[in-house]
Amino acid sequence: MEIKIMKNILDRNQNKADEVRNLLAEKKVVMINLISSPGAGKTTLLEKTLGELTKKYRIAVIEGDITTDRDARRLQKFNIPIIVINTEGGCHLDSHSISKALGSFFLDELDVIFVENVGNLICPSQFDLGETFKLAIVSTTEGDDKPAKYPMLFREAKGVVLNKMDLISYTNFSLESFRKDLQMINPALPLLEISCTRGDGMNEWFEWISRQIES
Amino acid sequence: MHELRIAEDLTQIVLETAKASGLKKVTEINVVFGKMIQIVPEIFEAAFRECARGTVADYAGLNIEIRNVRMSCMKCGWDFKVQENRFVCQCGSSELEIISGKELFVKSIEGEH
Repeated sequence: MEIKIMKNILDRNQNKADEVRNLLAEKKVVMINLISSPGAGKTTLLEKTLGELTKKYRIAVIEGDITTDRDARRLQKFNIPIIVINTEGGCHLDSHSISKALGSFFLDELDVIFVENVGNLICPSQFDLGETFKLAIVSTTEGDDKPAKYPMLFREAKGVVLNKMDLISYTNFSLESFRKDLQMINPALPLLEISCTRGDGMNEWFEWISRQIES
Repeated sequence: MHELRIAEDLTQIVLETAKASGLKKVTEINVVFGKMIQIVPEIFEAAFRECARGTVADYAGLNIEIRNVRMSCMKCGWDFKVQENRFVCQCGSSELEIISGKELFVKSIEGEH
């Protein structure tokens, strides 16, 4: 006999994500889910961003890390609430772990939560965390083919940060081809070209991310 | 490797349904995945076998239907299949509504009492 089910397989994750989203909306907290490959510069971007944005917002960070707390230790100097979620080999964060982490923050005393997802471009795009929006971070040293290979992330993200612009002349990264692919996949997607180490585009990034937080 | 987590959640849904329906054995599982979810069927099948081992779904056939990415244009109404990541309508608009391609659901199971 056949039994009809017609159910989203990730229903459990989705339900929890909806709960998280409602809670954050009620508490007026913006949660930003940062998604990139390992080594694109998520933690460095966070360091630079916290240095600037903690002047005007009350910020907390959720660090998704496979086994260590190294990323979190790099952020300790900001003296802000940080929760590390070790996924023990798992390639993405899910809404249940986020919900649990939120339980350790005083949400009434926060404006923004940055979630540093596990470095990976496929899996984190499939798991809704209840975030306000996703950001894709890529770097020139990874090659220009990321949008073409991982279209879902670039369809769902609210913006793309292209990091390591200072190294572009040492790579075969073609900005033209990268922009062309993005144009086909999601023409309305803002692209921020930056270098966290040299400072290129950082002011534009701070302004842009502040506008997103406030809108 | 999101296949593993999806296989775990699928197994849980299948086992709960089988229990509620009094199935002693699950023979077929029918799932639908959209292309955008980027599931590799071989990896998914291997992950599912691991999750279902020793349960009533242990030897169930896993039928995976993959759906293409299709969009409908909000300007001119054209409904088209997205090829080579071209999320742009023939009229030039990129204001699109997704029709299919993000599916991730279990359609049905078959089994014996």
